[in-house]
Amino acid sequence: MPVKKDVCSTGIEELDLKMSGGIPLGSTVLVTGCSGSGKTTLCMQFLFNGARKGERGVFFTITEPLFKLTKNLEGFAFYDKKLIESGMVNIIDLRIISERLGLDTEKYTVEDAGALLDILKDIADELDVKRLVMDSITALCYRLQTREMIRDFIFKLGTSLAVMKCTTLLTSEVPPQTFKFSQYEIEEFISDGIFFLGDVDRKGDLIRTFQVIKMRGTDHSRAKFALNISAQRGIELVPLLKSTEFESFLKR
Amino acid sequence: MVDAVIEGIRERVAAAIQVNQSVGIQVPENRHGDLLEAIFDSMSRNNTHTTWTFVTVSKTFDYLSKAFKEGTRNTNIKFIDCISRAAGISDVSTNCTYIESPVMLEKMILEILNNFKGMKRDLDKYIVIDSLSALMIYNEPEIIREFISLVMNKSRAENIHVVSILVEEEMDSNKLIQLNDKIIVLRDSFID
Repeated sequence: MPVKKDVCSTGIEELDLKMSGGIPLGSTVLVTGCSGSGKTTLCMQFLFNGARKGERGVFFTITEPLFKLTKNLEGFAFYDKKLIESGMVNIIDLRIISERLGLDTEKYTVEDAGALLDILKDIADELDVKRLVMDSITALCYRLQTREMIRDFIFKLGTSLAVMKCTTLLTSEVPPQTFKFSQYEIEEFISDGIFFLGDVDRKGDLIRTFQVIKMRGTDHSRAKFALNISAQRGIELVPLLKSTEFESFLKR
Repeated sequence: MVDAVIEGIRERVAAAIQVNQSVGIQVPENRHGDLLEAIFDSMSRNNTHTTWTFVTVSKTFDYLSKAFKEGTRNTNIKFIDCISRAAGISDVSTNCTYIESPVMLEKMILEILNNFKGMKRDLDKYIVIDSLSALMIYNEPEIIREFISLVMNKSRAENIHVVSILVEEEMDSNKLIQLNDKIIVLRDSFID
């Protein structure tokens, strides 16, 4: 597939095809899903695929310790330790940054949020990253005390990174079997795009699903796909058999 | 007599698959074993120019490898076992991909297509699904219909031939087999 210049290819072929080549450069995309839906894997694959093309990336984690995160990645073929060692993929624990900045780790004041935003922008700028992941924005929003602070934080982060032509994925945690995009119901309105990772129950077995809900600035499919996570190939998409939807609906 | 019957079935299947993109074979339960033997015989021949993916829902890969030793060791034949994991069998084989459950139809499609990825275009490529009736034990007929339609559409696009088996005693509906270009109905009277 020819790569368009103004898009950021995820490197996941079927996903890029659904978005006319990739995510529009500099977009902020919400990657929404429940626990175990594949959010972190998708984001990591996005970073490693970018690094292979020479695009530096950074992954900010708030939910998982670094050693656990990298250990989980080791089984995937897309994972390459050398890309981490060479600084093409940077994995940073945001809690450590917060501590170093002297921020209250549980609740951020407006000033705290401003300081954190500045440091995130500085890191992105200094490393000259073209891809950034925040895992998860839900955990970060939990520390911001009002809806206004959440809106302001995401808006400012997205705008600053867009200027740097850095494409950003923010993971959003939602309860299972719900068609909800975020915990605070603000995140989706500020984001340029939404990837919705869900699951359907088929005879008691859970089938992972994937849907592009919105993606500003490009034609994209809104069809629902089955998502598979393979050690060899990472994230794979295939059309979801529609009878599944009907069965799930009847169960509800 | 038995060898002649198996050879007869093999020739019928081989001739039909050369002409048609997809062939459905309807077989009585008591002749299912003969049909499998004929298909394994077919798969083992001319293996320099052919490649096969055998999707098993009716017998475990372990059973097949004991019953058809040579056929299951052939590197041109890849297996997708959809029932061992669901039955709690945790065998591992380099020649076989195990699907956790026979209801994970999309995963089956992915594994089938991945088996053919990167292969030379001039290879003769075949998929055998054994069987649609066994899939219907675990899934609703509507979803199997959708599954087989998707497999056939994808296969046509990739120039892959599909052989699907329907065991008469297990089937709730014969509508599924009608999706094929050609249908072979094997009967006791024909075989005996």
